[in-house]
Amino acid sequence: MAIDDLTLVKRARGGDQRAFRLLVERYQRKVYSVALGMVKDKEEAMDVAQESFAKVYKYLQHFKGDSSFYTWLYRLTLNACIDVLRKRASRKGEHVQFDEEVQVDLSEAHIGVLGARLGTNPQKSLLRRELAEKIEEALGELPEKHRAIVLLRELEGMSYEDLAKTLQIPKGTVMSRLFHARVKLQKLLSEYAELGVNEDPSEDQ
Amino acid sequence: MNSCQRWIPLLSPFIDGELSPSGRIELERHLAHCTVCRARVGDFRAQSGLMRVGFEMLADEPNFDQFFEKVMARVTPDRLSLWEQWRLSVSELFVYHRTAMVSSLVTASVALLIGTSLILANTRTPDGYASALWSVRKVTTVPEAHVAPVVMAADRGNTIVWLVNHRHVLDSAAGEGSRGTATPEGLDSGTSTIEKLPLKQQRPHGGEL
Repeated sequence: MAIDDLTLVKRARGGDQRAFRLLVERYQRKVYSVALGMVKDKEEAMDVAQESFAKVYKYLQHFKGDSSFYTWLYRLTLNACIDVLRKRASRKGEHVQFDEEVQVDLSEAHIGVLGARLGTNPQKSLLRRELAEKIEEALGELPEKHRAIVLLRELEGMSYEDLAKTLQIPKGTVMSRLFHARVKLQKLLSEYAELGVNEDPSEDQ
Repeated sequence: MNSCQRWIPLLSPFIDGELSPSGRIELERHLAHCTVCRARVGDFRAQSGLMRVGFEMLADEPNFDQFFEKVMARVTPDRLSLWEQWRLSVSELFVYHRTAMVSSLVTASVALLIGTSLILANTRTPDGYASALWSVRKVTTVPEAHVAPVVMAADRGNTIVWLVNHRHVLDSAAGEGSRGTATPEGLDSGTSTIEKLPLKQQRPHGGEL
């Protein structure tokens, strides 16, 4: 029977490295995925993921348990990602905007493209790695805050309440930010879908 | 389209199941007769699934075999005292190998109990009393005994040792009359006097071990 996160955290606090290892193994792939989505570089994403768990280990005594462990973990991960992005931007002499306003395109130009082309079974459509890379590219076009919220929602399946706790924003902001992020992503992915996924339409059935 | 403006921002929480029950019912009423908004919902759902599967695919690529070790290499743990390390090891055993630990403790307790009773059952046997061959129940000394050993070499390297009661022999000798044999000197020491006595009087007889 799987041991719950809180029990593992308590044991890890007492110095039980095996408990901490179980926590790491439970979340390592998802943390890496979120980091990859944010920093867009595999090596840096791995570095961020390792650093996030190292911070978890160092600050485990400070985890109060008033939120779930994984919201705290992802908060640390996102902060580590933001640090990386800031350092990268400062090297390039850029200023990173985290509150970029996104113009919402509510035109009907791309409506139904994704649903029609990809159907309700995305697994079939992702037989080609190319599409996964397109998703990564499209995500990279988003501002960091929108990227973060989409990743946490889609990869971890976080509720709006957990998203609010992780990102330390009101629930209403979660709703609007996620909506804007999805609309922008939809536009980018629909453009790709329209350019040609090279799929046999019968595969969608 | 204008009528859809108020519903479009709700489509995202709708596919996430985060709308209130009343909000969901109203939106479903709108979707029932708006094909455009239904297509939008399809797009959101397709995109959501795409994101999830796509990133799972990308996350499967790296090798996580040494991931934990690399994490720990970044951490400099405080060195635990020997007592703390021992305590932690024992508590880990009880958490992760509980069944094995309990059965081992039970076995060890039973073995200890049996071993202790066996040890206590054995009396202290002085060396030289053949404790390897039989179990000595009691050792009694006879303070007034005056004995000397008679060592007989037997076959197969065995040795038979008799303890001859000097006093008995002397008394027997005295009873038969003096033969002019002086009381052997050093009788009590029992070293060489036994050689001076006639053979029949040297016949050993048994006594208590």
